[in-house]
Amino acid sequence: MKTKKGFTLRTIGREYVLVAEGLEATDFNKMISMNETAAYLWQEVEEKDFDAETLADLLVDAYGVARETAKNDVNALLLTWKRAGIIVD
Amino acid sequence: MKRIYQVAGHRFSVVMPDNHLAWSEMKPYEPFLTDVGDDLVFSAEMIDVMPDTSGKQKITVSCEAPDAPRIELFEWNGLWLMEMAPVLEAPVRVCLLVDKAFKKAQFWVLGSMRFSIGTVMMLLFAFSTAQKGTLLMHASVTVKDGKGYLFLGKSGTGKSTHSQLWINNIEGCELLNDDNPVLRVSDDGEVRVYGSPWSGKTPCYRNLDYPVAAIVDLKQAKTNQIRRLSMIEAYAAMYVSFSGYRFIKEMADGLHATNERIVSSVPCFRLDNLPNAEAAWLCYKTVSR
Repeated sequence: MKTKKGFTLRTIGREYVLVAEGLEATDFNKMISMNETAAYLWQEVEEKDFDAETLADLLVDAYGVARETAKNDVNALLLTWKRAGIIVD
Repeated sequence: MKRIYQVAGHRFSVVMPDNHLAWSEMKPYEPFLTDVGDDLVFSAEMIDVMPDTSGKQKITVSCEAPDAPRIELFEWNGLWLMEMAPVLEAPVRVCLLVDKAFKKAQFWVLGSMRFSIGTVMMLLFAFSTAQKGTLLMHASVTVKDGKGYLFLGKSGTGKSTHSQLWINNIEGCELLNDDNPVLRVSDDGEVRVYGSPWSGKTPCYRNLDYPVAAIVDLKQAKTNQIRRLSMIEAYAAMYVSFSGYRFIKEMADGLHATNERIVSSVPCFRLDNLPNAEAAWLCYKTVSR
């Protein structure tokens, strides 16, 4: 899968929000708030091909969590991103 | 004839033929006249003949509602070309040619003088100051005890009505601007609100400025209720209350930086409200603390 084009990750204080700033996303009129982990993963895979494994690897590497935990977290996150309409298969 | 105006500390010049009827549309700008002619954010000149812009490349069309202005953006000859109409389905009434930094502009009016002049000046002002800690807002502003209170909300939400409710019910309130005030963050972080020559249907063109006490996002409701917004919520409420071409990275970065600095320092609230005096009092008592 891939992240959709036209989004910019912005920091507001210590929080993160994904904003549709590009011409490719002019119809997208929501903002997606993200925690630090989600924001980290988004930046790592932005405009690249990736799958659940890619994200789980990143989580294990960056946060030293158990792989099983990482996979569960990633599945939940991917569902959120898909529902929000910010990634495509 | 050339005239120079200063709005929110930013100077710009307007050149139009002597005695042109367009000058009568510049009445609201008169309180903002200045003699200082250097360091202009933009200069705009009216032209009689539009260059042949065939081969222009369409970039985007913006129109927030069928009864809101339509702005088509093209790229032509290394410049931006904007063709604008008062409503979605109307014919083009004014064309604007401007360099990529929004500093040197030429405009050509086909009709609707009031719409044309106002739209050209507002666009140029907003875009040329986007990287200068400045936001041209869509808001109504009331002043009380030397401080400005901004009321945000979608068109038709009752921003102007809420300002009127403060003015009619709370002693010592006055209107600063009813549609397009300017917010500016200074280098030391102070946020001030400025009157402007753009005030929607209410003729209120005041060259005055005040520190901002609070920003209130209005929503129509069946009861009156108010709460403080988180920084993210405030950022989002602000985000839809000023415009800019966010696909232009430098502009988006500038607008973001200003918005973030404002919501980090000014308390922002959500007021669910009825158009009544109780709403004004609830709001005033909460946000002026």
